[in-house]
Amino acid sequence: MVQISPLSKIITLSTVLATGFLLIILSCALWNNWLPLIVVAVFCLAPAPNAICQSWAGQDDFMSESSSTVVDFGRFSTGFMVVSGLSIPVMLAHNSIINTAAMWMSLSGGLLIYATIITFGAFFYEPEEF
Amino acid sequence: MSCPEIPIWIHSESLFRIAIPGFKLPPSSLRAVGVYASGAIFSLGFYAMLDAALYSSHKNGSTVHVRFFPDWLPLLFSCIGMLVINLVEKARLQSALTGGSSFSSGEDWQAKVVLFLGFAFLAGGMASSIAVLVLKYALPGYSMPTLGMGVANVICNASVMVSCVLLWVAQNIEDEYSYSLSL
Repeated sequence: MVQISPLSKIITLSTVLATGFLLIILSCALWNNWLPLIVVAVFCLAPAPNAICQSWAGQDDFMSESSSTVVDFGRFSTGFMVVSGLSIPVMLAHNSIINTAAMWMSLSGGLLIYATIITFGAFFYEPEEF
Repeated sequence: MSCPEIPIWIHSESLFRIAIPGFKLPPSSLRAVGVYASGAIFSLGFYAMLDAALYSSHKNGSTVHVRFFPDWLPLLFSCIGMLVINLVEKARLQSALTGGSSFSSGEDWQAKVVLFLGFAFLAGGMASSIAVLVLKYALPGYSMPTLGMGVANVICNASVMVSCVLLWVAQNIEDEYSYSLSL
């Protein structure tokens, strides 16, 4: 396990995030068709229900039935939004609303953005001390 | 004479005689994976249907279009059924199905009726999607790109059903596990 300084972590993550946004904006601008921007919104919103539900359920000290239901709803909607971020460009390209190359660019850009958000959460996640 | 050795891959506690090696997850993360996969499958089904609707409005060569009345109604039924099934309180359902005495038996029929309604909506969505495929697309004799809209409808409702089953099973894994811990 190599120790990486937090500064280089932040620099790397921001570079990857900028690359993802660049890919998506290029996939919109090259064909003058701004529909792939939906992918940015979906992938930026994808970790939100999970985080909100877990923090909302984390107010209880014990794992009660209602809080686990709330956490499950957050997980369900996270899975829903990740797959919808992947399937919206495929769907648009299948019906030739956007170009196939734009589909590939927006897919890779969206995956880069989502991976950045996830690794950012994983890098700076500190479990609570009991 | 010594008793024969029991091989490693045979666990007497598991359901099957042979456990799959390398597939051991703690039940809490198994539950998380199940719920994530349930959301993913639901999303796949929904976008299959939306894809059929976009195909109908953008690339359609025929005069058949995806409308709300026959085409989106099965998905509506399936979603109502999934909501109802997953909103039933699990503890009351356990007491209703096993005849436990934690609630009075006068309230047990409510949980049973609500669960029956949910499953009826789910099965009705599946059945009505097949009915739409047969009556609207197959019987008039349309060929494949038009028939694909009806097939997408069936795929959509089947995946909503699979997603509901996965969610149900994943939520019951942890309950049994914590129940066996509490004993």
